[in-house]
Amino acid sequence: MSGEGNHRVILLVEDNPDDEALAIRALKRNHIGNEIIVAHDGVEALDYLFATGQYTARDVSLKPAVVLLDLKLPRIDGLEVLRRIRENECTRLLPVVVLTTSNEEQDLLNSYSLGCNSYIRKPVDFLQFSEAIRQLGMYWLLMNEPPPT
Amino acid sequence: MNRELLTTIRELCRDEAAFEQLQQILRSEVYPLQQEINQVNFQIDQQKALFRVITRLREPLNLDMLFQATAAEVRQLLSADRVGVFRFYPNSGWDDGEFVSEDVDPEFSAAITQKIHDHCFGDQFAIHYQSGRVQNVANIYEAGLSDCHIQILSQFQVQANLVVPLLQGCHLWGLLCIHQCRTPRQWQATEVEFVQQIAHHLSVALQQAELLSELRIEVHERQQAEQRAQRLNQSMQQAIVELKAVNRELEAFSYSVSHDLRAPLRSIDGFSQALLEDYLEQLDETGQDYLRRIRAATQRMGQLIDDLLTLSRVTRSDMRKESVDLSQLARYICTHLQQTEPDRSVEFVMHDDLVTYGDIRLLQVVLDNLLNNAWKFTSKHPQARIEFGMLTSENGTPVYFVRDNGVGFDMTFIDKLFKPFQRLHGMQEFPGNGIGLATVQRIIHRHGGQVWAEGAIDQGATFYFTIAVEEG
Repeated sequence: MSGEGNHRVILLVEDNPDDEALAIRALKRNHIGNEIIVAHDGVEALDYLFATGQYTARDVSLKPAVVLLDLKLPRIDGLEVLRRIRENECTRLLPVVVLTTSNEEQDLLNSYSLGCNSYIRKPVDFLQFSEAIRQLGMYWLLMNEPPPT
Repeated sequence: MNRELLTTIRELCRDEAAFEQLQQILRSEVYPLQQEINQVNFQIDQQKALFRVITRLREPLNLDMLFQATAAEVRQLLSADRVGVFRFYPNSGWDDGEFVSEDVDPEFSAAITQKIHDHCFGDQFAIHYQSGRVQNVANIYEAGLSDCHIQILSQFQVQANLVVPLLQGCHLWGLLCIHQCRTPRQWQATEVEFVQQIAHHLSVALQQAELLSELRIEVHERQQAEQRAQRLNQSMQQAIVELKAVNRELEAFSYSVSHDLRAPLRSIDGFSQALLEDYLEQLDETGQDYLRRIRAATQRMGQLIDDLLTLSRVTRSDMRKESVDLSQLARYICTHLQQTEPDRSVEFVMHDDLVTYGDIRLLQVVLDNLLNNAWKFTSKHPQARIEFGMLTSENGTPVYFVRDNGVGFDMTFIDKLFKPFQRLHGMQEFPGNGIGLATVQRIIHRHGGQVWAEGAIDQGATFYFTIAVEEG
């Protein structure tokens, strides 16, 4: 796989270790070679994005190609993370894909209202999940031209 | 005659006899004039008294005060010994009653509040008084009155009696009684007329009082009805608050189910698949079969949760009603069904332009379930046929239907058809979880409609539904 998105990391925000393992497995299975950074809750995700907390030393100008964001998270939830990403001048154009279990209308509505780029409901069937990840990687890492940094 | 005037005339006259004659003439001329003046004065007093009674009628209505003041007024004007307002007890057939108001010369006994029973009256005279009869008796002992009547009157020392009816509308309410106790008395025509006028005005007051009391009763009833409505409204408000709370809880529960219940299933399915991919060589056929069974069960469970969430959602979601083209929805669903199994040969018969008014998302769920069922239960039929159309019922409302020529069902179990988790076919034969028709029923009920089915084994099934027609 090549392209602008190929050199950048994928930020996976996921608190469930099983889902984390399965998401990483699905990415690898589809030959998506980008480095994957995992944040286990909303605070970690924001720390990474804004180079605070454990990520103080990180070069904040290096932005992920895409953020895969779960909604139900400890401490700060996914919608709040999304709100803060869109609020901040440096990250407001960052591609954010909500990757979650529910298809409740309120989740969809809130996510799109806060400006997510895409909303994917994780299917129970792993093969379907894997296919969703493949298409997602294909689109956001290969086909999509990321916003200028 | 005026003495000074006479002296003047005498001096002018100078003739004794002529003066005497003149005096006679003048006296005969002046006396009737004097009489007439007295008469006119009495009439003026009567008019004044009437005016006062009428004026009182225009004040806020208080019958007791009105009766009392009128009795005093009339007694004074007529120089009578007693004036009383007698009232019959309601529903006594005019046999019983009492004086409710009275003005009486202190020399004579009070008649007020003494209960009076006179059967002869109710029996014989009430009807006449009802039509305006006046009793005018100068001397009760010489008027041929019945003994019982004389006895009652003499009880109150009455010697002369003038009685006029008090009517409330057409109903004889009571009597206005003028008594002379000292002596017998010849009642003058003007006096009788005056008393009749007074009675007429009191009757007007009685009529007003009745209307007022009816009005008060009506106002009271209205107030009570209003209070009942308010109480009802309050309890409904309360019920709405409680329902909203229950709905919020249900919402939170569904939300949590949607998020948390499916996550473990993904792990089970995902890692089973990982085993099949990464450790395939270490698993024999049986081991691989077990893993496939685990995955299939997990996916069924996932589907079950999704269907339950749909069922719950169709109950609690807000209805957004609009014009819905059912034909278009059905055609779209059928196209999709054909795409899932392109090899199947199914004849679709779709009636055009069936438009109704309802929530498009919910109605799509209805057609989705019914057409999916039709698709599923015709899967073993070599010439499957699925029809969506409309009939018109006897009362003119449209009845929509989805008909197939599939395996059908036994009408014996019709009552199980729309209950959640009830299935009429084995899982091996036709997969499903028994939630679809329960969902259909809930949606149709929310649209104020009915849903029912007809079928026979191996002869297909028809599902009918209606949607309440809304004005505007």
